Amino acid sequence: MKQNIYIFAITLTCYFSQALDAQNILIKNGTILTITQGIKENADILISNGKIARIDKNISATAGITIIDAAGMYVMPGIIDAHSHIALDVVNEATSPVTAEVNVGDGLDPLDINIYRALAGGVTISHAMHGSANAIGGQCETIKHRYGTTNPDDLRMEGAPRTIKFALGENPIRVHGEGNKISPNTRMGVEQIFRNSFSEAQIYMKEWEDFKKGIRKSSPEYNLRNETMADILRGNIIIHCHSYRADEILMLMRVLKDYGIKRVCFQHVNEGFKVAPELAAFGASASVFADWWAYKFEVYYSTAYNAAILTRNGVVTSINSDSEELIRHLYHEAGKTQRYGDLTDDEALSLITINPAKQLGIDQRVGSIEVGKDGDIAIFKNHPLSIYAIPQQTLVDGVVRFDISKDVDDVRLDVSPTEKFSTFYENYRSTENDRCMRGISELLMEDSYARFMRFKLSQNHSH
Amino acid sequence: MKWNLLSSRVVLFALVWVFACPSYGQNSDAPKILSNTYYLRNCNVVQKPGTILSNQNVLIKDGFITELGPSAKPTFEAQIISADSMYVYAGFIDGHSNTGITKPETKDRPKVTNPGAPPMDVAGITPHILASESFKSSDKSVADMRSAGFTVSQVAPRGLMLPGQSNIYMLGEGSSDKMLIKSATVQNFALEPARGVFPSTSIAVIAKFRELFKNANIAGTHEEKFKANPLGLARPDYTKEVMSLYPATIKKQTIQMVAGLTKDVHKALTLRDELGFDMTLVEVKQGWHYIDRIKSKNIGVMLSLDLPEEEKVKEVKDSTATKKDILAIKKDTISTKPKIEERKDIERDAFDAKRAESNKQYVSQAAMFEKQGVPFAFSMINGKPSDLKKNLARMIKAGLSENYALAALTTHPAKMMGMSNLLGTVEKGKIANLVVTHKPYFDEKSTIKYVFVDGKKFDYSTPKKPESKSDGKSNGKDGIVGYWSYSAMVNGQSQPGKMNVKKEENGYVIVLTDDSSPNDEDNAQDIKVDGKKLSFYIMADMDQPVKIDIEMTFDGKTFTGTASIPQMGTFNLTGEYISEPKSSQSY
Repeated sequence: MKQNIYIFAITLTCYFSQALDAQNILIKNGTILTITQGIKENADILISNGKIARIDKNISATAGITIIDAAGMYVMPGIIDAHSHIALDVVNEATSPVTAEVNVGDGLDPLDINIYRALAGGVTISHAMHGSANAIGGQCETIKHRYGTTNPDDLRMEGAPRTIKFALGENPIRVHGEGNKISPNTRMGVEQIFRNSFSEAQIYMKEWEDFKKGIRKSSPEYNLRNETMADILRGNIIIHCHSYRADEILMLMRVLKDYGIKRVCFQHVNEGFKVAPELAAFGASASVFADWWAYKFEVYYSTAYNAAILTRNGVVTSINSDSEELIRHLYHEAGKTQRYGDLTDDEALSLITINPAKQLGIDQRVGSIEVGKDGDIAIFKNHPLSIYAIPQQTLVDGVVRFDISKDVDDVRLDVSPTEKFSTFYENYRSTENDRCMRGISELLMEDSYARFMRFKLSQNHSH
Repeated sequence: MKWNLLSSRVVLFALVWVFACPSYGQNSDAPKILSNTYYLRNCNVVQKPGTILSNQNVLIKDGFITELGPSAKPTFEAQIISADSMYVYAGFIDGHSNTGITKPETKDRPKVTNPGAPPMDVAGITPHILASESFKSSDKSVADMRSAGFTVSQVAPRGLMLPGQSNIYMLGEGSSDKMLIKSATVQNFALEPARGVFPSTSIAVIAKFRELFKNANIAGTHEEKFKANPLGLARPDYTKEVMSLYPATIKKQTIQMVAGLTKDVHKALTLRDELGFDMTLVEVKQGWHYIDRIKSKNIGVMLSLDLPEEEKVKEVKDSTATKKDILAIKKDTISTKPKIEERKDIERDAFDAKRAESNKQYVSQAAMFEKQGVPFAFSMINGKPSDLKKNLARMIKAGLSENYALAALTTHPAKMMGMSNLLGTVEKGKIANLVVTHKPYFDEKSTIKYVFVDGKKFDYSTPKKPESKSDGKSNGKDGIVGYWSYSAMVNGQSQPGKMNVKKEENGYVIVLTDDSSPNDEDNAQDIKVDGKKLSFYIMADMDQPVKIDIEMTFDGKTFTGTASIPQMGTFNLTGEYISEPKSSQSY
């Protein structure tokens, strides 16, 4: 018996480690929801070296190629979550209103079981974000869900643009203004933090330019915070800003206009529907919840039609999870926009595929099923927007990372030698529930409570 | 001390207690100095790993090995030690630890106006500090290390992300300065965040380090330019926290980085590649994923001597459950749906197997490094000196060769420290740091007879008896060993807590905790046992350290006693037996 279990444990390890190399795979006879090029019935997808090489009917299998029979199944691009906090050692460095120098990518956690759970919901990419404690938070990392590796670098989506977290409103005010009695203590203060930081960065850039030109002889001090702010000014970093109220959303757009910054995605943006034309005119995008609000005062007013209104006003919109639980059923969240707003199938699916890809600056690589794009695929039994949808297999770069037929009980990659036997629920109780404010939830009990209730409700729904 | 402290919550056991150096056992292994010349007659000398010379005589004089060989003769003043059949090894070298540095008292967090920009020391940035500022050779940890065979430690200051620079000390009893061999050897770095101020997370520590490193290089380079020709240049900025990192940025000083688990190792390697500095990884516990990378980049490694506790082999009750069954539960929940009880067992067994596998990997780490030909030393941050031999034996059982184990304790660290000319082998001209055992060290039954540090002898040949008159067969039922609850009556209020009494080789180990803050442990000191009577003291922190004398009389499964606090009075204690003593080893 003991022996058998050993073999089992080893088999499991092999299952993941083998999966690490990009493979050649042929997905046969599926209904392909390409997102950008319509639906292709009974068609095949050939993935070579991790990239989509061909989409056609009756592609013949070459010798040795792995074949996935997708007859009767729906094949869609891997789902992309534009707002998540999974696979991170640290979410919030909440000690300063500006922490642009910090990068959550320095603390990626490939051992996080939530990566696997996301794969089980067809999600192949997530935007691992810094939290919303600071007006200017840390830099974020776009990760591919290559579960099975122990090396954090393997999670990085190589070539994805840099992104950074900004936050408006109550969170930075409460943490710094009320918590530490420093600026910002009002929404005006938050705006001033942005303006000060950008202005300082401009001065900093000038100092270094002068030094490089020889106008200045002594080297200025190196300041990683200003370096990062300068990179935002140069257009090298996309801002993803935690936001709720319409007035603040307009405020940030004014600030960015003043400093010539164009790339911004508003996160949560619960009052986005009020300023949808303004967002569209600026070229800002929006990443929202399907139907969640009223969990704190500044977000008491929203609507489940938010995504639909934004979409129909020409704003590139996505639906995100901000939760290790919700990330497992984003397809269901997208489906809600058909109940609230009558979005078409393509529009609804775009909310979790090509649109978040655009917001992360990776739409040339992922977000639709097109020749040349990455082999990130989710295969569903029943249409993904159907309430009966069940993810079957999830591929990242042509590697099967989730297969419902091989979904074993314990997929953890690393068990501490002193770990106690425990259940999911025991573990869950011991962790903080609000990932976005992880590390500072003692300051924000209401948030945690709201998340916890939401989690409980979602548990009731899914059982 | 005001009386009203008593009426406030807990006086006796609830506050954070600090421990001072215990007096127990302090001087019992002190050398009796007749002459500092020793002659070891007719011994087996393990000169270096793999080289054993028999029938050797060793002459030790003025701290050095002055003669070695079959024909070496004693000088007239030499104390002659008949070492027939004994084994002489080079003294063990600990590559990295906080030996000799007392844990600082727990202080209140300093008030910082702007947590985003705290003073450097509050942020844990003190790279200019040397270990000599806090090293004391009289600290108990020095004697503990020595009793396990360690004769030299590369001592790092205690602290947070940049605690300061290490010094190499001999673990003798002379004054701290006299024990110094080499100063400012390495710069220390750890992903150790500050509490409540920037950097308060590991990712902020990394960001801060990047910035400091770049600025150190800028400042150092600028200073050189200024010295060459100051005309038109700003006066150099001599901020000590920045300037002291400059040698590391030009590879004149190695950065010794604490990296225990796999992700820490990755972070360390990534930073090194990014910034380009010479690095030694220390206290590595889970480094096997990166052996190739460590090898190809010639990075120094010190493995932790702390191992997870040994897995107890569990009898598996259900002999029918197999991998198939486990999968069957998933696949076919109708036909073969097991009872809930059964299912739990299968899950638990699978979990146990996974954990056992993990345990095995931690223990095999040293063997894996050896197999890949990566030389390593050991560090002693988390390991306990008393576990040294036991843990080495486990590593050896898992595939580490005895020669490599010995090298990791002697020649490897000597080389990494650049001290091979003085340390690491038993050769004429080297410092007389020796470990003498009556059987080969790695023999299960061997014990250390003598340790020589700097040519001075410490005698361990008569195992110290604990200062106890008890019969030693205490098992809790009729003795004092066990895990006890206690209750102190203070001003009519009961203050409950727990007391763990263990008996170890060197005597009793007693730890007290208070139920209101069970993580604050207090170590009993000056423990005396007389039959069923137990007495000791603890140091309580009540604005200032206060000594509390405690006496207890045991009666089967209960005890009664008193606790005396100066200027406050004496309070009654009662207690009850709960269980066998708990292992305090927390991994």
